[in-house]
Amino acid sequence: MPDWKLIVRKNLSVLVVCSPEFGEELATHLEDNYEALLCEGLPPEAAFQHTIGQIEGRCRFWLVMRCLREDLMTRFIHEVALPGLLTSAASCFFYWALALDNIRPKVNWLVGGQFHILPLWWWCLLPICGALGAVLSRRNGGSRLKRIAASLFPSAIMGTLVLLIFVAGFTISGLANHYQLVFTRLESLGLVPPGFVVIPAVFSLLGAGIAEVSTKKFGRRV
Amino acid sequence: MASVNAQIKRGSAELAVLTLLAEHPLHGYEIAKRIEAQTGGVLRFDMASLYPMLHRLERKSWVKAEWRTLPNGRRRRCYRLTASGRKQIAPLRAQWRAFFQALESVTGFQNA
Repeated sequence: MPDWKLIVRKNLSVLVVCSPEFGEELATHLEDNYEALLCEGLPPEAAFQHTIGQIEGRCRFWLVMRCLREDLMTRFIHEVALPGLLTSAASCFFYWALALDNIRPKVNWLVGGQFHILPLWWWCLLPICGALGAVLSRRNGGSRLKRIAASLFPSAIMGTLVLLIFVAGFTISGLANHYQLVFTRLESLGLVPPGFVVIPAVFSLLGAGIAEVSTKKFGRRV
Repeated sequence: MASVNAQIKRGSAELAVLTLLAEHPLHGYEIAKRIEAQTGGVLRFDMASLYPMLHRLERKSWVKAEWRTLPNGRRRRCYRLTASGRKQIAPLRAQWRAFFQALESVTGFQNA
């Protein structure tokens, strides 16, 4: 009797990311199929070839693709993307609220001879967003890594945006030989990523950490 | 047309599986074999179609899976219908009935 668990583990190792039990379930299916073919009178070699054909070639490709699409993408959407987008919306709301007139507690900071605005109070509110992302991801069954990813989602979006703007700007300016513009962008990079990406990420992580600790401490699933 | 085709396949498979599981819990291989046997081989589910669908139904909480030890001592992941899944059968049947009636009125395939 072939060791179908081992065969599945070798042929479909990528499916381990879906669920550790999934490989075992597929192995039981193949085992049943193999035995049914033997009972029908097929010689062991033919039964083996017929059975293993279900996890080889095109069948293997479709099996992996469908499983990844169903399991991985759906879980990613529920455990990371949706909590992350809600966290981003909350973060944007706080920033917008603080940017309104009369409630504008920002700090001007001198960097390289220029004044820059640091959204200090916005940073202070970001632990709430980080905690929100972590809690929502936990509710949807997210692992610790996914909870962290959900809480860092706003910073990831901002980081990607800044990177794209910088790369696009640098490329265009470089092509046009506008060195002054490139220089200005490089200088602005000194503040923008820390102010809108790195420091918010730290504050969001702080919130996620607090949510994690308080969930464990009070021993309940939020 | 491709998306409609895929949706029809998906919908029919879900109804077939839910109907089978309404009788008693089954594991994946049994589900595939019973559908194949009951339809005379017209409907066949390969692993790439069956297991992602079963996991989707599980995520929707229409079915619940658990490892059981069979009388022959082997462990199999058996799926059973939940109360929520049972509620889905009647609406799904109604949708399919309406679909076939609509198709029949256009193509007259029943009398062909």
